[in-house]
Amino acid sequence: MIVSFENRLLQFIGIMAIFMAIIVVLFPFFWIFLESVKPPSLGGRPDIWRFELSWENWSEVLLNSSVPLNIMNSFFIAFITVVISLICGAPAAYAFSRFRGFQGARYSILAAEMMPPAILILPLFLILYKLELIDSRIGVVTAHLTFVIPVITWFLIGFFDEVPKDLEDQAMIDGYTRFQAFYKVILPVVRPGLGAAAVFGFVLSWNDLFYSLLLTGAGSRTLPVAIASFWTFRGIELGKMAVAILIAVIPVLILSYFIQKHLIKGIGGSGVKY
Amino acid sequence: MNAAKMHIKYKLILPLVFLLSGIMLYPLIFSAWLSLQDYRLTRINDVQFVGFENFGLIATDSSFLNAMGNTIIFVLSAVTFELVLGLSLALLVQKLVIFRGAIRSILLAPMFITPIAVGLMFRFLLNSEIGIIPFYLLKFGVSIDWFGPELALFSIVLIDVWQWTPFMLLMFLAGLEALPKTPFEAARVDGAGPWLTFISITLPMLRPVIVVAIIIRALDAFKVFEYVFAITRGGPGNSTETIMYYIYQTGFRFFRMGEAAAASILLIIFILLLVILLVNLSRPKVTK
Repeated sequence: MIVSFENRLLQFIGIMAIFMAIIVVLFPFFWIFLESVKPPSLGGRPDIWRFELSWENWSEVLLNSSVPLNIMNSFFIAFITVVISLICGAPAAYAFSRFRGFQGARYSILAAEMMPPAILILPLFLILYKLELIDSRIGVVTAHLTFVIPVITWFLIGFFDEVPKDLEDQAMIDGYTRFQAFYKVILPVVRPGLGAAAVFGFVLSWNDLFYSLLLTGAGSRTLPVAIASFWTFRGIELGKMAVAILIAVIPVLILSYFIQKHLIKGIGGSGVKY
Repeated sequence: MNAAKMHIKYKLILPLVFLLSGIMLYPLIFSAWLSLQDYRLTRINDVQFVGFENFGLIATDSSFLNAMGNTIIFVLSAVTFELVLGLSLALLVQKLVIFRGAIRSILLAPMFITPIAVGLMFRFLLNSEIGIIPFYLLKFGVSIDWFGPELALFSIVLIDVWQWTPFMLLMFLAGLEALPKTPFEAARVDGAGPWLTFISITLPMLRPVIVVAIIIRALDAFKVFEYVFAITRGGPGNSTETIMYYIYQTGFRFFRMGEAAAASILLIIFILLLVILLVNLSRPKVTK
């Protein structure tokens, strides 16, 4: 096959562009890691590349700060949020996928997903304040449910749509009720979808700043809020902030790697057919 | 109709409806009520009904209009950059023969991490005193004040582009993979070059995916808060104050919940109109 010079040039430019993109994406991660292992006295010195590896920032943050508590809070909140979302979302997504008359309901889920947090935070804050649930993890769970439930439900509709109807028809002929068929036959089939939806919901809750910022106090503060407070209250503590950022980011990057291939089906839902 | 006789399809959605009514519908109604009150966090026991006064106050408030303007500029420029960049990268990555999976995973990484971390990383990467990027740019004689009055909003756009171009890439890679092969083979046989093929085949066939990606990303971009909170807090002046930040300020810094609620309702109406407009514009023209 003859490849013209022009094509080769285009190919070369393309590869260089991808290479550039990779560097642009990776550089901030590389830099933040570097800052986290710099001796604290050298933090924020852009001219220094050679230094003695120091784990002081890491040990400070892990042993001598609120970050472990923040991790626990974030984990607890994200976990409970996802469990409740799956319990409510999975049966509903199945119903939306299988029964007629839910067209409007589908769109409401989508609308709920797009709802700006700015409109919900005001009433939620006042309601939680009246219930004395400000600075409680359950208050944050309530707020996170407002965006995780719609996302998980929408996510699952796409997965249920792909399961052939014959499957539960057969199960019902065999004597299962509709609910048993859903619970014992369909749910196991969409297990990868449930897993991906759970991971995605977990990441959304884990990453949230806006609600957590306004609804938490010292005891219930989540990791993103803690990261933000590294510079507002104690001046710039770059090294420690770098450690906290890495702690928030690394688990998410690992988790998300496993759900990448499911994401499209989830985000597009069944509404989008390519 | 009693519970036992209720059709299974309603039983299945009951928990969801119940929960969402409590945590979304009720707050929304509360919010609508709130927007008609003079409700201040500082005098929570002295709430007065003021009708549509809050809406009047907001609609004539220059900082609200400024925040709306900033947000619209932000959304338009961020989504445009992300669209062009995401589509170009998708076309390039799709052609890769080796390392495609690994490169895809790397390029998608930014969209999964918490925006506050992204904001803070760039706050320090671009900081004019301790930032590594201005430091090395200066060695080439380039001096840019990334968070000065002229560039701050643009810098926030760039940060958004860094984090969310991967979303466009994700959508377009899936879209490209799902395209049928035949038209492309036909084009090759007919001797169409890469540019012509792109304009006359890829782009029109990708259109539905592009529309969905733009809508999702634009709606999401309206919620921009973390970068502003992490870096500029709306400044310098109010050049980077976005609508989310404005509502946050009005409600939780100035304690004027009624006005904040009115602003959030105006925001929703605006977004709704935008979605209707986008959906109508994107509907393929019917030819009979």
